[in-house]
This record gives sequence, structure tokens and C-alpha cells, in this order.
Amino acid sequence: MRRSRSALVAAALIAFGPRLAPAQSVGAGFNLERQGNYAGAADAYRLTVASDPTNLSALLGLERVLPQIGRQGELLGLAQRAARMDSTNVDLRALLLRTYVALGEGDSADALVKRWAAASPTSEAPYREWAIALEDQSDLIGARRVLLLGRTKVGRPGVLAIELAELDERSADWEDAAREWALAVAADRRQSAAAASVLDRAPLEQREAVIKVLTAEGAPAAARRVGATLLLGWHRPDQAWTAFAGTLDAPPVSETAYALREFADRAGAEPTRQGQRVRGLALDRFAALVPPELAVRARMDAAQAFLNARDVAEARPALAKVAGDSTAPAGIRIEAREAVARLEIESGALDSAAAMIAALGEAAGAGVREELSRALARALVNAGALDRAEASLAGDSSVDAMATRGWIALYRGDLVTARRLFRDAGPYAGSREEVTDRVSTIALLYQVSDAKSARLGAGLLALARGDSAAALDTLLRAAAEVDSAGRPVVRLLAGQVAAALGGGRDSLAGALFASVVRSGGNSVAPAAELAWARLLVRQGDAAGAVTHLEHLVLTYPDSALVPEARRELDRAKGAIPKS
Amino acid sequence: MKRRDFVRTLGAGVVLPSVGAFRLGLFASSPHSDTSLLVPMDDAQTDHLKAYGIVYRVVQAGIKSEWLLNYRGGSFLLPDGDAIRRDAALNGVAVEAVDPSRVTAIRGEIEASNADAVPLEKSPKIAVYVPPNDPPWDDAVTMALQYAGIPFDKVWDPEVIGGALHRYDWMHLHHEDFTGQYSKFYLIYPGSGWLRDMVQFNQAAAKQLGFTTVPDLKKAVARGIRDYVSNGGFLFAMCTATETIDLALAAHGVDIAAAFADGSPIDPDCDAKLDWSQAFAFTGAHVEPDPGVASFSDIDGHQVNAPTRRQPLGAFKLFNFSAKIDPVPTMLVQSHRDVIPDFYGLTTSFMRTRLKPADTILADEEGAPWVKYIHGELGKGTWTFFGGHDPEDAQHEIGDPPTDLSLHPHSPGYRLILNNVLFPAAKKKELKT
Repeated sequence: MRRSRSALVAAALIAFGPRLAPAQSVGAGFNLERQGNYAGAADAYRLTVASDPTNLSALLGLERVLPQIGRQGELLGLAQRAARMDSTNVDLRALLLRTYVALGEGDSADALVKRWAAASPTSEAPYREWAIALEDQSDLIGARRVLLLGRTKVGRPGVLAIELAELDERSADWEDAAREWALAVAADRRQSAAAASVLDRAPLEQREAVIKVLTAEGAPAAARRVGATLLLGWHRPDQAWTAFAGTLDAPPVSETAYALREFADRAGAEPTRQGQRVRGLALDRFAALVPPELAVRARMDAAQAFLNARDVAEARPALAKVAGDSTAPAGIRIEAREAVARLEIESGALDSAAAMIAALGEAAGAGVREELSRALARALVNAGALDRAEASLAGDSSVDAMATRGWIALYRGDLVTARRLFRDAGPYAGSREEVTDRVSTIALLYQVSDAKSARLGAGLLALARGDSAAALDTLLRAAAEVDSAGRPVVRLLAGQVAAALGGGRDSLAGALFASVVRSGGNSVAPAAELAWARLLVRQGDAAGAVTHLEHLVLTYPDSALVPEARRELDRAKGAIPKS
Repeated sequence: MKRRDFVRTLGAGVVLPSVGAFRLGLFASSPHSDTSLLVPMDDAQTDHLKAYGIVYRVVQAGIKSEWLLNYRGGSFLLPDGDAIRRDAALNGVAVEAVDPSRVTAIRGEIEASNADAVPLEKSPKIAVYVPPNDPPWDDAVTMALQYAGIPFDKVWDPEVIGGALHRYDWMHLHHEDFTGQYSKFYLIYPGSGWLRDMVQFNQAAAKQLGFTTVPDLKKAVARGIRDYVSNGGFLFAMCTATETIDLALAAHGVDIAAAFADGSPIDPDCDAKLDWSQAFAFTGAHVEPDPGVASFSDIDGHQVNAPTRRQPLGAFKLFNFSAKIDPVPTMLVQSHRDVIPDFYGLTTSFMRTRLKPADTILADEEGAPWVKYIHGELGKGTWTFFGGHDPEDAQHEIGDPPTDLSLHPHSPGYRLILNNVLFPAAKKKELKT
């Protein structure tokens, strides 16, 4: 059936062929080829070649379709004639070479390459085309032999390195592939991106060998930079910077600056502290190589990267340099001083931070000044300096300030005021984490009906300050003091603190959870039972955890914690694979 | 008793618990002895996948249940009991208590529509064919079984060659390459440690079991699985296992493995020598002759790892069978969704031109030259082939983290897998009547 249809197409082409321009019959060939009618396509291409023997599109079409129908041999004569008629055409020579190789005419291929190489002794093209043709026939050994021959004949060390690297990759020899890529990028630095992209696929167990080759002493700077790029991609930023830093003296400066910027941008995509730190280091060095107007911005970005990395030691001098740079634009200098003030707040140097905020005065915008003051107030609250915190919020009527005042009231034990301020601040003040903290605290406060509880305030302040042991002790005493309705929730909190402390306090945590499960009622008992189950999982008692989780699901089917409990249950039973 | 009579008997009253159920105490404390539990499988269900686990455990306890084909997405009707309600509550599976009059009304609806009620009698004993190393890909069926809480045994080549399959009612194959070419992974993952392990394990198994090459071992395993089906087993295969088990069966005595697998090149005339009468599902396929192309044959329509041939994913549609006339295919396509997004596997789909005339197509992509889900019989048993690797990870790649099914409790693709797990529970009855 197929044969008769192609015969019809061929007949039609022969009948109407002379009236078709070569381009038209090439187009017809493409269409037939796309439809899978290879015999028809071959006839169309042949028609073109008959009137235009060197038509490359038609000859390439024949190269594609003839093997599909087992008629590859027909191409030989056509390719020979075309190469004879246009003897300097590299594409036609390459086609003839591929045809020889595909048909197993090794001697003819050899002779053709010799003639080609004699005509163009400095060109690697004959060897490349020959190797590709052999590779197409899955003759990888032959392809390697030809490429090495080409390297010897042409006489340049980096010649045909990319092709050899590709062969190495195919045989999973990534170390040799790295060696060839090192030669390739040394000869042409524009190949660096391709080298990094290909070598990035090296399997885990061969990566060390790849890095060793690229960053070896004496390796060209371009190769070492490829190594640094790979190390960044493999999440080893510190080693990446070490490899890169060794190339900073390599000329030309403009290329080094460009490479530094690129390295910094790549490091910025690495979300770890180490990644951010090396981004800062690269930007700092970049700033030293570029004109002042670019350098100021780069130093500011470097400082920001150090801040992201929580590397205060590096960030402080970088910021100080910008803040004190009289040639820098005023806006950037103020930005630097604001950043220094934030740094002081985060590092707990609150007196120094207060002085800086005062010194910024009108130079910083009102919004920035208030935001810094609130950050200072929050830091003072967490440090227990409640009066100073309140003073630093003077005149600030924002919802953020209201929320911070709520914390001050809470830690003073004024539960009524804290409830009111938190409620008024609503769900929009502060970051998402702050909102979550506030909502959890509101939930706790609504269970405790006492107007004041200095002990509970002190316990929560200790918790905020990270003093869990003191918090546990104070919360246990607070639980004994508050009214009976609020007791379970305070015990639950104490239990969670004890469980987080771990060690010898696990049994206390278990006892607290047990007492809440017995007496807590529907509002608190499910949370206590879930916390208890998690404690048991951590202790390796999956069966005990399953019992509690099942009890939770069955006893409190309407609790919002049931989906979470079911998921824990699945985990405890091993029904969810560990990712 | 004929199956239809049995169903009518059930229609007259509630599902009767068996002696085994009383012994297990599942009804001992039931306050609901006059009611039944409907496990809805339409959008009212809160966890479609775990619902199969509930039903499996009920049947495993010796309690007769019913699969209400085409009724509310293929719901289940169970006797009421505290233990069943408890199991459902713990697993987040929605159940509805239905009194006898409602059960009668349901049966009336079933009788009057393209629906049917099939009794489920015996929980199948399940084997999953898994290599002993820890391959860096997940197996959809293993995950579905674990998530639903359905027990299974792992078997591999020694068990199959040793004749252990007769102990199982249902067997699953997933990502195995029965041509013995390690899924041609050397082209994509050369030098990987897990690939080295895979080669090592398979070569050791071939040596231990007395075969010269791994392809020879895999062909013998394929024949063992064919015998298992022929003798009444239920086979469910996904991904590469579908295509390669048929290639291995058709290639008895013919070399279709590349030199890297068995030391000798593929027989250039292998296509002409293949005996497709030995295969389950396919016929007339061409073996991929180039060891450098990551494809096995022209059975797969999507050719995911052959860049110039790779086809994009569409969606496949489940066929609507007559529940009363064709209960078996109807069971296999029970779902709350008719159209399901397609997903890749080393074998994603099956070309229509390569199917045997007797194959039943369960799902296809309309207008495409391939189908997705097929079923057929061989001797006393049946086989079902489902293309693709992971229904909830369309582009699954080696090394990806396993799919967390608690995030996909309504997955219609995974439901098709679990239909297959439960289907032998009903099929036994079909064979008896």
C-alpha cells in the first residue's frame, strides 16, 4: 500500500517536475518527509538534484531519508558529483565524507580527508567532520583516533578539545572531559559557559576529580573560573571562592571585573549564609576594579550580602566605608548608616543603636526613623528593658507600635491590656512570623481569664529571651496561680517548653501533656495529645504515638488538629515515604 | 448461586456478615446492626485512596462487601460496624450510614441505570516485583499500597524462577526492563553509583540462577510471569515493564539486547524472528536497533528519552463500559474523573497499531495514535497494562523525591491502580459463576 502511494507521488513529481522550480520540489520533499513518506520525499529531492546537482538542501534531505528506506547507497554518486562540481564547498565535502563513513568506505574517507587537509592545513574541520560521521555510526573509538590525529596534524593543543570532551562524557570519563574543557576554555574563553553547563552534569562520585583537574596549580585562569562556577552550582561556595580568588590577578582587569560580577550574581542565587558571604567578598573585590560611581553601589550590595550572611564582622567595615565616603551620593551614605543602625540592633548593641538613630535625625525619612525605633523597641522588649522600650515608641501611633506595646503589657503581667492591644493591632502589624506569634498568644490569653498574672508575663518574657529553663520554671508556677480554666493551657505551654528542652525533662513534658489530656477539655486536650504523640515519636515509641493519635482523631473529630494528626499517624505507620 | 442471584439476595436486606467477621469481633459491639455503610467514591469522598484500604481490610476480615460499579464514582457498600467506622474515621475516609430502605433505593437506582453491584469476597494476596537494591525512583503501586495500608510481599528474580508466584493472587511490575538492558540508563546516567549497583545485582542474580547473561535471565523471568498469568494470576504492569515484558516474551531465542548487556550485538534480523503469539498485549513491533537510542521499540507512543521522537503529554479519557455486560473493564475504570492528565514513563503509552485485536482499551487519548490503559486475558488469568511512571508526577525524573500521597488523596490516576488491586477480590466470583 505504502509503496503504491509513493509510486503515485513519484509519478506525479516526474510528470510535473520539470515545471517545478528546485526550491518548490525541495519544499514538496520536506512535506512528504514530515508525513513519513520517505520514498516520495527521496523522489522529490532527487528531482531537485537532477536539475541542480549541488543543491545542499536536497542532498541533505536525501541523506536523511534514503537510510530510512534502505537506499543509502544511492547517495554516493550524487555526493561525489556535487563535491567534484563545487570542490571548495565545505558542506558538500562533509556530506561526501559522511556518506563514505556511513557506507563503510573507510579508505575513500581517509583519502578525502587527506585531500581536504592538504588544501586547508590549519583547519580542524576535516577531522571534526570525520569524527562526527564516525560517532554517528557509534564508532567512538574511531572518532577519538581521528580527533587525536587532527590535533597532532593541526598542531595546536586546544584544537578539537570540545569534541574530545564530548566523547569522554559519553564514556562517563568526566575527569578527562574536564581536562579537554580546560584546554578548550584556555584557547577560547567564550566556551566557559558551555564548559560549566556540560560538566555540571558530572555524577556525584566524579565531581572531585573534575574539580581537581580544573583548579589544579598551573591550570589556566579560565579553567579555574569554570571550576569555581561548578563549585557554586554544587553548593560549595567557600571552595568556589577559594578557586576563584586565585585568578584575580589574571589579566585583563576588565575581564576579571566581569567575571567577578558574574560570580557574585551566581553566588546570590545560593540562599545559604556561605553563599551570601562569598557574594559579598566578590562584590567587594569587584568594587576595587570598577569606576567610583559603580564601586559605591557594589560596596553597598556587598554589605547587604554580608548582612544576609549574618557576617557582622565583614558587613561593619563595608558599611562604614560607604557611610564615610564623602564622594558617595548622600542617599547611599544614609542608606549605609541606617544599615549600620539595624546591624547594631540585631547584634544587641542597643545603646549604640539608639545613639545612631538619634544622630540620623531628619536625614533619614520619618518612615525609616520610626521603623528603626520600633525595631529598637522590640529588641529592648526582648531584652527585658520594658520601660526603655515604651519610651522609644513615644509618639508612634502605628499598628506595629500598638502590637509592640501589647508585648510590653503582656510581659508586665497586664493580661487585659495585652489582650486589647493585640486585638486592636489586628493581623497586619509586623512580619508574618510576628503575626503568628501574636495570634498564638491571643489564643493563650483567651483561655486565661485572670486580669493580671505577673508570673505568666515573666514566664513568657523568659521564653522570648530564649531562657527556656527559667521559662519552664516560671510557667509551672504560673500554672499553679492562674484560675482553673486557664491552668491547662499554661500547662500545655510548659509541657511544650519541657519537650523542646528534651533530655531529663521529657518525663515532665509527658506528665504535663497527660494532665492536660485528662482535664483540658476540647479546646486544649487535642493539642496536648498531638504534642504528646510527637514526643513519643521522638523517643522512638511509634506504637505509643499511634495510640494517642488514634485517640485524638476519634475523640475530637471536629478539632482543627485532626488533619495534622492523621498525617502524623500516616508517618508513624510508615505510610508516607521519607523525602 | 449465580452472581446476579447473590446480588438480589443482598438487595432484599442488608449485607450479611460472615462467620469470620463475628469471630473477629467487628460487629460484636455494633449499635448499627440494621444499617449499612456506603463509602461514596464521588466528590463527597474525603480520601479516595485510603477508601480502598478500608474495603480491602473489611474483605480481608472475611466480611462480604459490594462494589457498586458506576454508582457515585464506584462506591462501596459495607456492613455497618464500630470497627469499620473507627478505621474510616482514623483514615479520614468519608462513610455514610444507610438504612435498609435507602439500600433498597440504591439497588433500584443501580438496576435502572448503567450500574451494577459486584460482591467482593476474598482479599487478594499481593506480590510486587522489586529489585533488591534501593533504586533511586519510586514505584507508584508500592506507594499506593503503603498509603492505603494494603499489605504486600516483595519478590524478585529468584522467587519467580523458583516458582513462588503461585502463592499470590495479584502481581505488580513497574519499572523493570525485561530486555535486560538496564533501561538503557547508561546513555543518560553513565557512571552513576546506583546504575553500577543495578548491573552488579542483576549479573549476580543471573550467575546465581544459572544464566549466562542478564537478558537470558530476564527472558526466563518473563516466561515465569506469563505462566503465572496463564494459570490464573492477575498481572498489573506499569511503565517500562509493559513494553519490555512483551519484547522479552516475543524474543525467546532471539538476541534483542545490545552488546553492553550480553556481549553480542542485536540480531540485525530480529524483527522478523520475533514470535508475538507469546506476548500478552502487543504484536508486530520493531525493536530499536540502535544501542545509542534510549528506546526499546516502537510500541511506546511518547518515546520520552529519544529527543527527536518525544511527543508532548495530553490527557487520556476513560472508556464507559456497560457495567452489567462488562463488569471487569467497568471495575478497572471506576473513577470520579473521566479525563486524567497524562504522565511520562520510560514507556508512556501504547501505539494502537501495535495492539493485538483481542486487547480491551480502557483509556486513550482522543485523536492520538496511542492508548494509555489496556487489559486482556491469557489462559485462566488476566493482565492490565498502564503506561507511565507516576500519575501525580508527570515529568518524574530519577532522583526526584517520592510522591507524598497524603497530598494527593483524590488522585484519579492512583485510583486506577487501586481498582486493579481490588479487582481480583471480585473476579474470583466472576470466574466461579
